[in-house]
Amino acid sequence: MRKYAIVFLCFFLFAFVIKESLFTVPEYFPLPVYDFSKNPLTENKILLGRTLFYEPMLSKNNTISCESCHSPFSAFTHIDHTLSHGIHDSIGTRNSPTLMNLAWQKYFMWDGAVNNLDMQALAPISHPFEMGSSINEVVEKLNASEKYRKLFYNAYGDNTATGEKTLKAISQFMLTLVSANSKYDKVMRKESNFTEQEANGYLLFKNNCASCHTEPLFTNGNFENNGLPMDLLLKDIGRMKVTSNKNDSLKFKVPSLRNIEYSYPYMHDGRFKKLSEVLNHYTNGIQPSKTLATQLKHGIQLSSNEKVDIITFLLTLSDKEFVFNPKFQYPK
Amino acid sequence: MNLLILLHLFFLNSFSQKLESVNISFAVVFKNNPIVLHDSTYNLHDGNSIKFETLKFYISNIQLFQNEVAVYTEQNSFHLIDVSDASSQNVFLKLANGISFNKIKFNLGIDSTTNVGGAMGGDLDPTKGMYWTWQSGYINFKMEGICNTCTDSKKNFEFHLGGYQYPFNPLQKVELKTTANSFKIILDLNKFFAIVDLEKQKHIMSPCADAVILSQQLAKCFSIK
Repeated sequence: MRKYAIVFLCFFLFAFVIKESLFTVPEYFPLPVYDFSKNPLTENKILLGRTLFYEPMLSKNNTISCESCHSPFSAFTHIDHTLSHGIHDSIGTRNSPTLMNLAWQKYFMWDGAVNNLDMQALAPISHPFEMGSSINEVVEKLNASEKYRKLFYNAYGDNTATGEKTLKAISQFMLTLVSANSKYDKVMRKESNFTEQEANGYLLFKNNCASCHTEPLFTNGNFENNGLPMDLLLKDIGRMKVTSNKNDSLKFKVPSLRNIEYSYPYMHDGRFKKLSEVLNHYTNGIQPSKTLATQLKHGIQLSSNEKVDIITFLLTLSDKEFVFNPKFQYPK
Repeated sequence: MNLLILLHLFFLNSFSQKLESVNISFAVVFKNNPIVLHDSTYNLHDGNSIKFETLKFYISNIQLFQNEVAVYTEQNSFHLIDVSDASSQNVFLKLANGISFNKIKFNLGIDSTTNVGGAMGGDLDPTKGMYWTWQSGYINFKMEGICNTCTDSKKNFEFHLGGYQYPFNPLQKVELKTTANSFKIILDLNKFFAIVDLEKQKHIMSPCADAVILSQQLAKCFSIK
């Protein structure tokens, strides 16, 4: 009996070690929101998901992949474009968000329309301005592909693609996109030190920004109206579109500031190209309204030197290892 | 070791127990006529006539009751009943021999926990066309068709009733009396269209107050035969 118990224990430890290397929670991070027990990570499933992420077959005419709007080198967003671009050169209505630390995210999309990471990919696949396809069409194409039949077999022990397996595999890859190796993280782990200017910026950040952009994820995960005047062409009411509740008018999900250096332009409609423009908005540009975030009711007061210090701190959130991680690139 | 023997006996015992089957078949009708997609025409109370193109809905959480005590609860109980697929209209329950019941309860639609639970397979797979893509949530009841006699230019009607978030959660509980081991559950859409004015309302495609009201009406359209 004891012998069996030892073998069993070894097996358990072994499984644990494997799992650890596929996804690690940094010590100073909260517990993930994603339920891994419903979709346990394996190397082959991650590889399938990664291949799907870079797969243009996900779009109607085989031209657009997830990577088209979520490139690894910009922390998985689309730089330079204010609004996302899709199939047939269509232009969407919002700025494509970064993809990182998704295991800690409860809601997806700027308005939180998607409630689970697994279901996220359905939206771009089906949107006429993004990929213009459907999950049925995608699954059909995957089942007709020798390459994918093999990848599905390796991942699931069955070479048939289904909607569930396809979406869960994409989730697996996205869950591995953990960014926790910026200078900020190294300082938190006491492997590095802030410069005087960075330290001052950090202090100012904690006093003025952190109630929404809360450490260590640099978002509190909530929906807030940050006082942007509404774009009169887009007329985007944000979260209210999902909840039909007028108290949610003009509220958008607070985005993480990690890798902000790489992920310009900023805001849900990409209206600001530079971080200085963003800070100028918070000091001088806030539009009062009923749903304005309470923290912004009196604006934020910062001198120009203080703004420079905050930006210097924000640059410590850049995680080069993350954006250049070969495990996240196109699978060869 | 004793524990293992006990466990062994327990499993032997539970496998040797005889199972009894309860067969339920679902039928969607209009008055007394079965719904036939694409071809048949059905006359509404207001004089309009309609055809159906798509008709499918979720039945979930099937339970059998004996005097308000649950005697059987189906595990993983999600059934997509699709008028275009005859095999989807039969549900077989396996319960231990000798269980008697006088009531069946089920939900019309998908509960909120399942709605936020991520990707699911089988009848819940998003390829079944019963999951919204632009906003998370299952469509509990999907009915599409044509009203050629309607006066406005757009003749097609689409009722996608679903969602899960307060205050627009349209999930409905249905209770019917039965003691038989084989029975038919009828959904009569004539009663549904009694409260719908297609001239005014043809399209519901997102969670809203009307979706809840129409779902409540649908729950009243079930009967047993």
